[in-house]
Amino acid sequence: MIKKIFLILKRDFLSSRRDAMAVYIMVIPLILAVGITLFAPGLNDTTVKLAMLKSDDVEHIEYMEQFSKVELFNSVDELERRVEKRDDIAAIAPTGNSYEIILQGNESEIVEEYAVQLNTLYELGSTKEETTAQLISFGRTVPPLKAMLVNMLIAMTIMLAGMLIAMSIVEEKVENTINALNVTPISQTGFVIGKSLLGGTVAMLGIIGAVIITGFYDINWFMIVLVGLTSMILSLVIGFLQGISSADVIEAAGGVKLIMLPLAGSIAVYELLADKWQWTMYWSPFYWAYKANNLILSKTADWGTVLLCTAMVIGLSLIVYLVSLPKLRKGLS
Amino acid sequence: MKLLSNYLKEMKIAARGFYFYIEIAMAVILLGILLFVVSETSTSNSKQFIYNDMPQKIAEYLKDKSIEDGDARLANSTEFELKPAEFVITNQETGETTAYDFDDEKIIELETIEMLDSSTGERDETVYYVETEEDMIRLAYSEREVGTTVAMDARGKVSTKYYLQGYETDRLESLLYISHSKSPAVINAKKDRQVVRTLGVMETLNNRENLVPIFLVYLGSLMGYFIVMAYIFYDKAEGVIRAFAVTPSSMWKYLVSKIFVILTTVVVSSSIITIPVMGGQPNYLLFYIFLIITTFALASLGLLVASFFDSISKAFGVMYAIMISLMIPAFSYYIPSFDPLWLRFFPSYPLLQGFKEILLNGDTGYVLTYSFVFLAGGLVLFVLADMRFKKTLTV
Repeated sequence: MIKKIFLILKRDFLSSRRDAMAVYIMVIPLILAVGITLFAPGLNDTTVKLAMLKSDDVEHIEYMEQFSKVELFNSVDELERRVEKRDDIAAIAPTGNSYEIILQGNESEIVEEYAVQLNTLYELGSTKEETTAQLISFGRTVPPLKAMLVNMLIAMTIMLAGMLIAMSIVEEKVENTINALNVTPISQTGFVIGKSLLGGTVAMLGIIGAVIITGFYDINWFMIVLVGLTSMILSLVIGFLQGISSADVIEAAGGVKLIMLPLAGSIAVYELLADKWQWTMYWSPFYWAYKANNLILSKTADWGTVLLCTAMVIGLSLIVYLVSLPKLRKGLS
Repeated sequence: MKLLSNYLKEMKIAARGFYFYIEIAMAVILLGILLFVVSETSTSNSKQFIYNDMPQKIAEYLKDKSIEDGDARLANSTEFELKPAEFVITNQETGETTAYDFDDEKIIELETIEMLDSSTGERDETVYYVETEEDMIRLAYSEREVGTTVAMDARGKVSTKYYLQGYETDRLESLLYISHSKSPAVINAKKDRQVVRTLGVMETLNNRENLVPIFLVYLGSLMGYFIVMAYIFYDKAEGVIRAFAVTPSSMWKYLVSKIFVILTTVVVSSSIITIPVMGGQPNYLLFYIFLIITTFALASLGLLVASFFDSISKAFGVMYAIMISLMIPAFSYYIPSFDPLWLRFFPSYPLLQGFKEILLNGDTGYVLTYSFVFLAGGLVLFVLADMRFKKTLTV
């Protein structure tokens, strides 16, 4: 049995090598991880931007540069044109003995508040030296936004693995090789496991590579591998259901879109909704996988919570699998 | 006539498969989410843990005053579970470190107030009052939120200690320092005298409406790119494209009929999402022109990519890389202060901004300019795809 399973894995590996799909699934997360590493610092530093005149006091410009990104312009007309552009930016321009803040009118409230606060503090001559505040740090270096992007990348890799399996099954169906397999000694379970191993392995390697590239070296690797492996069960169930229920690649593609909904919903609920609304996504295995990965990447995970999350992923995936087992069997016959 | 009959034939085939209905079902689900799950006003999930190191009466007075002034509202008290934790904190100025090691586990209930946004009246931040400084530090660490100790000495002088996570930017830290360089009364009096000039009365999309451009771009136009490829690969596998070579119909008519099927699907699903949410607000003529042109351009891109491969598996890498790169401008859409120049070169950037302008009834010039750009680009891509298909037929 094991030998036959590995024969299917070998066959899948060879056929996927022809179209490089497995390579894509492993390499794409790595490329995206490099992107996140380059992209996250800029995204984290979303301090309010200010437009000022080049002719303004050097001291004034330097003061503002301590707290915001400053862009310099030659005239008030240029300042206004800059403010009217699509992004959020406030201008500070001299008027008589004072300054005025120029806004387009559609900025978020924080932009106006920030510009007003900074100009007030400048006009009051406030300096850091006279502060009564003390800053104490916990010494964390990874911003939550970066952890969120990496977590989303892991979720997408799981989806990709599911797609790999789905597409490969659709191709088997189109080429009628599933029927041919029914007359070989391989059992349906053996076929399912064999088909799953390739998607699962390449996605797992992709996830581990992506986590390393993005600099999360000192996380609990046992935990991330455990969640990764349980998430694989999830991607396998998705892949098989999609593959079996789709008659052709168009339907498989449409199915991907439908699966994106609980995935995106789980992330949105976890990140955006208050604690009292979290239960609304408890039915989604993506939610539990995302939650566990978030806790692990932010280094706040404990084994109790991680085990609960993985049990939920496995449990929910198995429920879906068992419910759809008759359909799966029928599809494979 | 041939084009029309091709299109009708393609629509009949599409209506027989599930994909068309999946699109409609998806649009209905998204509409339901927008109408029943997403509120019109946005609320913030940011939290702050505060320990007041001052006489109880003064702390109560300050809290009550902010509620009376309408800056905050009382919420139900919240339970937090404190778990064992071990960490070190560092004072940024002195470099002095303090190690904490908590072995115990406990549940504490905290008085909670919600700070309100002055313009919308919605929650801006949730503040939890903690009874001991140690618990506050522990919560700030475990919940990864800002912790604050507000202390008042015997002479009534207030000082503040912020417990930050460590990844905050230097600019934010500098702002925290100078915000406490003068008394709040002096700062507020000066703030009230600031002159703010607004260049115009600008409409903004509410929280719910703000999601519509995202759905239109990523589930409409961009899916056109993805699905047209799926259609082409399906036809390649079935030998339809090869069969087309021996019919009197021209290749471009076949390709246009594929794009028309996508356009029909996108127009129907986009209308299902947009009309109930936006009502009569947008200029629908402009909306449909922009939707059709951008879907045509992206579907043409899909055709061109599909012309280089003979199965979806082989095209997967290119297809996926293009889709992911087109998703990046969504960050700028949601974080308007993050708007680097290089991001504006991604086609999905003007797509998102264009739909936003249409929904706002805003800059028609921008929409028409990019409609022209997408039309020209789409035509070039379409001609290239047509040439590729004519040349290769089976590839």
